[in-house]
Amino acid sequence: MSLVSTELTRSVDGVAHLDGISCVLERGRFYVIVGPTLSGKTSLLHAFAGLDAPDTGRITLDGADLAAVPVWSRSVSMVYQQFINYPHLSVYENIAFPLRRRRLAQAELDSRVRAIAETVGLTSLLARLPGALSGGQQQRVALARSLVKGSDLLLLDEPLVNLDYKLREQLREEFLNIFSAQNRSILVYTTADPNEALLFDAEVLVMHEGRLLQVGSAQSVYARPATTAVARIFSDPPMNLVPGSIDAAGLRLANDVLLPRPRHLDALPPGPYVFGIHPGDVALAASGIASEVELAEISGSETFLHVRHADMRLVAHLSGVYAYALGENVEIVLEGAKLFAFGIDGGLAAAPESGG
Amino acid sequence: MSVDRGKLVFVLPGLIVLVAIILFPLLFTIRVSLSSWDVAQPGLDWIGVTNYLRLAEDTRFWESFGRLALMALGSVALQYLLGFGLALLVWRDMRAGRFFRVLFLIPMMTTPVIMAVIWRTVFHESLGPANDVLRLLGMASLPWLSQAGLAMTSVIIVEVWQWTPFMFLMLLAGLLSLPREPFLAAAIDGAGPIRTFLRVTFPMIAPISIGAIIIRLIEASKIMDTVYVITSGGPGTATETSSYYIFIRGLRDFQIGYAASLSFTYLVIMAISLTIIAKVLARAMIVKDRAA
Amino acid sequence: MSALYRALKYAAILLWSAFVIAPFLWALTTSFKTANGITGGPTYIPWLQYEPSLEGWRLLFRSGGGGIAIGGPYLSSLVVTISASLISLVLGTLAAYGLSRFTYRAGFVRNADITFFFISQRIMPPVVLAIPFFLMLQFLGLLDTEVGLIIVYIALLMPIAVWVMVDFFNTVPRELDESAMLDGCSPFEAFWRVILPNSKPGLVVAGLFCLIFGWNDFFFAFTLTFTQTQLLPVAIVALNSSVTPWWSLSAAALVSVAPLVVVAFVLESYLSRGNLAGAVR
Repeated sequence: MSLVSTELTRSVDGVAHLDGISCVLERGRFYVIVGPTLSGKTSLLHAFAGLDAPDTGRITLDGADLAAVPVWSRSVSMVYQQFINYPHLSVYENIAFPLRRRRLAQAELDSRVRAIAETVGLTSLLARLPGALSGGQQQRVALARSLVKGSDLLLLDEPLVNLDYKLREQLREEFLNIFSAQNRSILVYTTADPNEALLFDAEVLVMHEGRLLQVGSAQSVYARPATTAVARIFSDPPMNLVPGSIDAAGLRLANDVLLPRPRHLDALPPGPYVFGIHPGDVALAASGIASEVELAEISGSETFLHVRHADMRLVAHLSGVYAYALGENVEIVLEGAKLFAFGIDGGLAAAPESGG
Repeated sequence: MSVDRGKLVFVLPGLIVLVAIILFPLLFTIRVSLSSWDVAQPGLDWIGVTNYLRLAEDTRFWESFGRLALMALGSVALQYLLGFGLALLVWRDMRAGRFFRVLFLIPMMTTPVIMAVIWRTVFHESLGPANDVLRLLGMASLPWLSQAGLAMTSVIIVEVWQWTPFMFLMLLAGLLSLPREPFLAAAIDGAGPIRTFLRVTFPMIAPISIGAIIIRLIEASKIMDTVYVITSGGPGTATETSSYYIFIRGLRDFQIGYAASLSFTYLVIMAISLTIIAKVLARAMIVKDRAA
Repeated sequence: MSALYRALKYAAILLWSAFVIAPFLWALTTSFKTANGITGGPTYIPWLQYEPSLEGWRLLFRSGGGGIAIGGPYLSSLVVTISASLISLVLGTLAAYGLSRFTYRAGFVRNADITFFFISQRIMPPVVLAIPFFLMLQFLGLLDTEVGLIIVYIALLMPIAVWVMVDFFNTVPRELDESAMLDGCSPFEAFWRVILPNSKPGLVVAGLFCLIFGWNDFFFAFTLTFTQTQLLPVAIVALNSSVTPWWSLSAAALVSVAPLVVVAFVLESYLSRGNLAGAVR
């Protein structure tokens, strides 16, 4: 079973929410759509669900065009980021709701509801109302309700974004267990956080401004981003991009800093390029590129150091706490082997060998 | 998509009812205004704009707008001041006030006509408590209902009694929905109660103030029951508002064609005036906000 | 908060409360008077200043001679108001849900315009509508009937229901409807099974507003009914004559206003629960 989308477009008030999306999603697989806010992730999910019809393009499920099928006849479930449950029904009734439309025998319905409740960890809460539950518990109810139908397509729109960090980690693990245990449905999960995609280690679709920029495994997208846009989206903090050139002497960054040409970039012809490096590969050293600190963001036990050398601005992701003051001088070293090179059109010219 | 068919089902019944019951009278009124329908000659004939020419010279009609403006603006202004004042007094300690809040709500719920009937006995010059209270305070009795200015005042008093609760309710709800932070900031900055009110409270509640005032102006301009019972438009025509005059022409004299032209003119004037007032208020309150 | 301020505050509240209660107290004491208690000048305290009598109250069950057989009008008012309110609530809620959830476009007319159309009907003064309604009911043979009045009231009350419910529905997240549809409900089923059960606060307020405005109408009842159908406000005003019986008038007034006091209690608890941050706008 596969969900095939062809050239989907949708504009609202002149703004393109979907701009020619084409992709194939296969049964039993787990997909993560990564993109910043307003990239069209939710619009795409809505199109899959049938909630918003695309202006042009087709969506077919196993060859059958879905355009004629109304929302309530489709085999789709959705979990929202806002903890959506039916407030007037108990947890049990919430989970049972989709099944009640199907007129199952009471015993069958009961066993299915309880089985799912067990899987999601809600057995002791079945009699409660959603209003009496915590955020995490409410999302479990929403998840249970979406699983109980056994629908062909299970959509999750940034479901963990409103939960605190610890809960997010915990639920992510539980999601992975539940998802890997089933192989009937197509699972689509959206997030604005590329690290989440990497943690899930799933098949990734990178979206930006309504367009699909790259499709591939999370690792491959991270190691070989197809364009500078993908490079910036699929990295948190975004990949450092510095315009420069390659000439006989080596690499020139921002027409200022000269670096020896690393081996993996040997094959590139001389000319202008945009070089990229992950913040994690920017290091402090005793001597290197003299730079000035613009901002030191301390986050937990890590530091994001924003530095500047002439026109070149970089962010270094350092583990440890470094409380540098504004304007302090530091020496920056860029590991040559970790450099990416993009053509001035944004396309990937060369990537580090061992997966960045 | 089949959602489209569903959408119509929801709105259609309501829309049909309203179009049939409101649009029809409006179009009918316009058509009738171009006829000379009255008791002597019932029926739709065509006399063009004769009725409108007549009303252009009908000073009684134009004067009624002045009276209407005085009555509506006067009573709404008082309602706003009193309602706002009461809301300000009560909003900080809501727990204790349930009895008073219900009490303050009651006048708004009562049938205006029926309360007007009671107020008429109150304002009775010799047998009513209004003059009794004045005598107790050492003042002279006032001819509440038989002197032009006082008659207008009596009506305004009744209107204020009846509708101040509306302002109170709207402004109280508004005050309660305001965020606390600006007030805390003002307190930290050392602002006294008056300054806090002028610079923080009033500007923030401006949109609700405007909404409440507009709604009350719309309703006040329709005033009918109270005037009918208490003064019957009198003495003379002292309290005759536009809609009362239309009532006299249309449902007493049965000059239906002429009344229709009066109605249509009145609607156009009201729609324009209210829109202007709304815009002016909005600008006034927002300018005040920016200056603050 | 200084003691002086607090004293002034309570004084102001008490003063206003006295002003609010005054007409009711006056009506109450007057309802127990007879002609003697009135003609001498205003009197307030029974037994001390006048001889109380139950005549005013007894007259509520007689007609003629200053009486006002209040049972009939009371029942008529109840029937008309409740019927019109229920129907208005149903039609208005459906329309409000449509306006809140769906985008309508007919030429250049959009949602906001349609909502404005519904609500702007309130600008029409009763007198402008009275004549067309009169002729319309006459044409349908429904003058002086309860049914005719109900139809007219529906036109007047539906905008109120729409106004309150649109605001209310706008506070219910659209995702709830979507979830219901994804779980197999058609749009109407989603409305019926999910949204409506969660709309009780809005429905109560809209319903109460309709009841209040319907019960309190005088003008349309006055213009469109005569002898066979008589609503409460009309019956009471009819007592006004050259020799108005203040005692039965006051009694009747109190009796007809009493249910509204109960409604005030109920409404207040809903409004101050902040259930309607949006609806009271």
